[in-house]
Amino acid sequence: MGVSRLPSAALTFKQFLQRQKVLGIYRNMLRTIRQVPDKTDRKYLSEWARDEFKRNKYATEQDAVRMMVTQANKHLEELQGSLALAKS
Amino acid sequence: MAARVLQHCVRTLRLSSGPLALRAAVVPAAPLHRALSFYSADRRTRCVNRFPSLDVLCRQYGQLPPLTLESIEERVLYVLKLYDKINPEKLQATSHFMKDLGLDSLDQVEIIMAMEDEFGFEIPDGEAEKLMTPDEIVQYIADKKDIYE
Repeated sequence: MGVSRLPSAALTFKQFLQRQKVLGIYRNMLRTIRQVPDKTDRKYLSEWARDEFKRNKYATEQDAVRMMVTQANKHLEELQGSLALAKS
Repeated sequence: MAARVLQHCVRTLRLSSGPLALRAAVVPAAPLHRALSFYSADRRTRCVNRFPSLDVLCRQYGQLPPLTLESIEERVLYVLKLYDKINPEKLQATSHFMKDLGLDSLDQVEIIMAMEDEFGFEIPDGEAEKLMTPDEIVQYIADKKDIYE
């Protein structure tokens, strides 16, 4: 095996994809929260999302991260569902 | 001019109202329509003439001060200074968010979202990841809004 030019701390491909996924969820989350009509609720929710993501910032175990991604998706769906209800 | 148009209207109206019943059977009131539209056009011009400012007022939908590279940069830096994790003294137009300002990727996402809020358009995910310095953001926004030196 030749000497890799990548730095030793570089992510593997799987980790890279997972990272992209997490960032995408975070972006979607913020976009959804932006539609919340009440200003204090919006602030509260964005702080909540931020804290939640920051708290697990250093998680590296793939299965753990996958679990958290699922959980975040569930939260996101819930949020979108209640927003749609509030609008109708 | 207005008087002449009005006169013409009245004449067409009178002409069409004569054998209207017969005509309506053949051509369904086409001249009448034309006369009416003439009339309304005439009224519109008169209205605008009476209020010269109205014409100007009506046409300023979404009129904002024009963006320039300087104003974009100013606004970008302003948004960044308001962001609580950036030290405003360390902030430079060329500083890298992660290397120089010590932010992480989540903060960078938040910054891009704040830019979207400020400038009122969406930045797609793929491009958002590449924007790492205030300068790049300014350049990107200028490209999107078609602003060049």
